[in-house]
Amino acid sequence: MIAGEVTAAPSSGGVVEGSTVEGPGVAATVPEPQRAHPSYHPEVVHGPLSVRALLRVDEALRLADAATGLTFSVYIGELGEDSRDTAQRLHARLADPDVSVLIAISPNERVLEIVTGSRARKRILDRDAHLAAKSMVAAFSGGDLGGGIVAGIAQLADHAGRAPSDN
Amino acid sequence: MSSDFVRMLVILIGIAVAFALVLAGLVFAGGGRRSKRYRPGRPFKFTPVWFLSAPEEQSRAGIARALRAATLGGRPTGPRETGGASDRW
Repeated sequence: MIAGEVTAAPSSGGVVEGSTVEGPGVAATVPEPQRAHPSYHPEVVHGPLSVRALLRVDEALRLADAATGLTFSVYIGELGEDSRDTAQRLHARLADPDVSVLIAISPNERVLEIVTGSRARKRILDRDAHLAAKSMVAAFSGGDLGGGIVAGIAQLADHAGRAPSDN
Repeated sequence: MSSDFVRMLVILIGIAVAFALVLAGLVFAGGGRRSKRYRPGRPFKFTPVWFLSAPEEQSRAGIARALRAATLGGRPTGPRETGGASDRW
């Protein structure tokens, strides 16, 4: 995703868009991993976030990944009728789902799903995820998608704590 | 009614009308420019996106292959134990 420059570090975020996921009532767009610098991926400009919000989300993702050792990702798009199932399907497509955290948001359906992998949920308890979700939803209901995402990532990363290797 | 009074009346009404028109123009122009902003309850058109923290690593790990399998109708992975939360606004 927005990385400031093309020569961004390998840990810089990325935006994905492309093929369609099969599922009950689902028309979700899923990723083809790629860089999301606006000059190379103009679709980002037509995405749900402003450039400023993209930069903030990018930084939040990078900081959360570096601090926790978990893999955070944010999906913004339609989730369909069974939003939980769709979010879990998307989460399962990540490289290492067990240590991944997916934040799936459907602005039009006003649905938020946070999915944590089997190992990630031991560090981010469901209760903690629920608290983060409440905080995010409060921002979303005020129309602040970017702010809600950044706040949610920060909260989830705080709850996850430092990566085990740092201890 | 003197002509001065009528002229003054016309000027005052003209100023008020002009002010209202300028205000309406600004509101209309602003609404058009900021229509991309998300407002809960209103239709919000955008290109779906998925932000990954490390797309290169995801790619190396085979997410692209998983996606190709998904488009062919297969499920890339079995059910996993997951946690998290759901909410609405």
